[in-house]
Amino acid sequence: MRRKASLILLALAVFFAALSPLLRWYAFPRVAKVPADQYQDMVLEAKDATLLDYGSMTAKKVDKVTVVQTLKGNVEASERIERTANRDVVVWDGLSYVQGPDGEMVSRIPERYIFDAHTQEPVHATGESVDGDPVRREGIEFKWPFLTEKRDYEYFDAQARITEPIHYKGTQNFRGVDVYYFEQTIPWTKVPFPKVMPVEGITAESVAKTGTTRWYTTVRKFWVEPVTGAPVYGEEIHREELRGGTLLGDRDKVTAFAGHVKMREDYIRSTVDLVKSQRLLVALMSSYLPWGFLVLGVGLLALSLYLEARSRRPGDPSPTQSREPEPLSA
Amino acid sequence: MRALIAAATGLVLAFALVLLITAMGSPSAETSPEPLLTTVPSHP
Repeated sequence: MRRKASLILLALAVFFAALSPLLRWYAFPRVAKVPADQYQDMVLEAKDATLLDYGSMTAKKVDKVTVVQTLKGNVEASERIERTANRDVVVWDGLSYVQGPDGEMVSRIPERYIFDAHTQEPVHATGESVDGDPVRREGIEFKWPFLTEKRDYEYFDAQARITEPIHYKGTQNFRGVDVYYFEQTIPWTKVPFPKVMPVEGITAESVAKTGTTRWYTTVRKFWVEPVTGAPVYGEEIHREELRGGTLLGDRDKVTAFAGHVKMREDYIRSTVDLVKSQRLLVALMSSYLPWGFLVLGVGLLALSLYLEARSRRPGDPSPTQSREPEPLSA
Repeated sequence: MRALIAAATGLVLAFALVLLITAMGSPSAETSPEPLLTTVPSHP
């Protein structure tokens, strides 16, 4: 009986011990992925910002500028790309809509971001764009990979359409969540005018004809939960200027926007809650279950060996031996 | 010999389970009907 039990325990020990690395290094990279149908909105605000008044072409102080950012997974487009890319792909159609204090549109920049659902590496396919212009991303955008590492990453800047490093600056605790803090500085860079301008009758082409150019710099800050790779908080110290050309008269430059953009409080709370719940699922697959199975496997193996050793003790009667009947003498 | 068979059984079952999990794939998805926002939402 003990031998049978020790054999069953041995089978279970090998089962769990083998399951541990298989789950971590085979199943997890294949199962953990960004869903293709995700829909997410985010509101960011820049209080006491500076905004260009296109009527007088002067910079004015305003109470608040609001940025509404939406990301919508385009399932049909991702399935179309998957047929040729031969891997799981996510297509995010995004819109960054900027609204002034009076509720009027300041800018609207649509973009399409295509990436590998498992690794978050960019996938290059027709349709990858920012504000209607084809682009080729070489870094991540919006989301870090699962199991984010303490290192610099390449991050795509949609305004400048360039990829620059975003530097790991240390580990912090943000509202009860351990996060990695990343920071990227985009130096003053000449950037295209948005296709849709805030004033009717003014187009990117008509402004370009005046010789005026648009320049931009930003310091981008992200607090990223490393297990899910999801940012729980973000800030941007953002400045835009118009420089040169006849549009500015005798001035060299004018501020088009300057502000410290931060996530709105209710969105911070909702993002932290969402990331906490997702973190548990990813940590189960990547850490808790593999370690648990390994410990269980070792424990079962020890128990199996113990039972086996007990069944072989010399003092114990062997279950297979049967006593010979002693002959009776009359 | 019986110990070897028991260990092999455990190993085969572990591989089978992991292959089953990875082969299941994800449920079919649909693009959200929600629009790309051009107004400020009052809450998340």
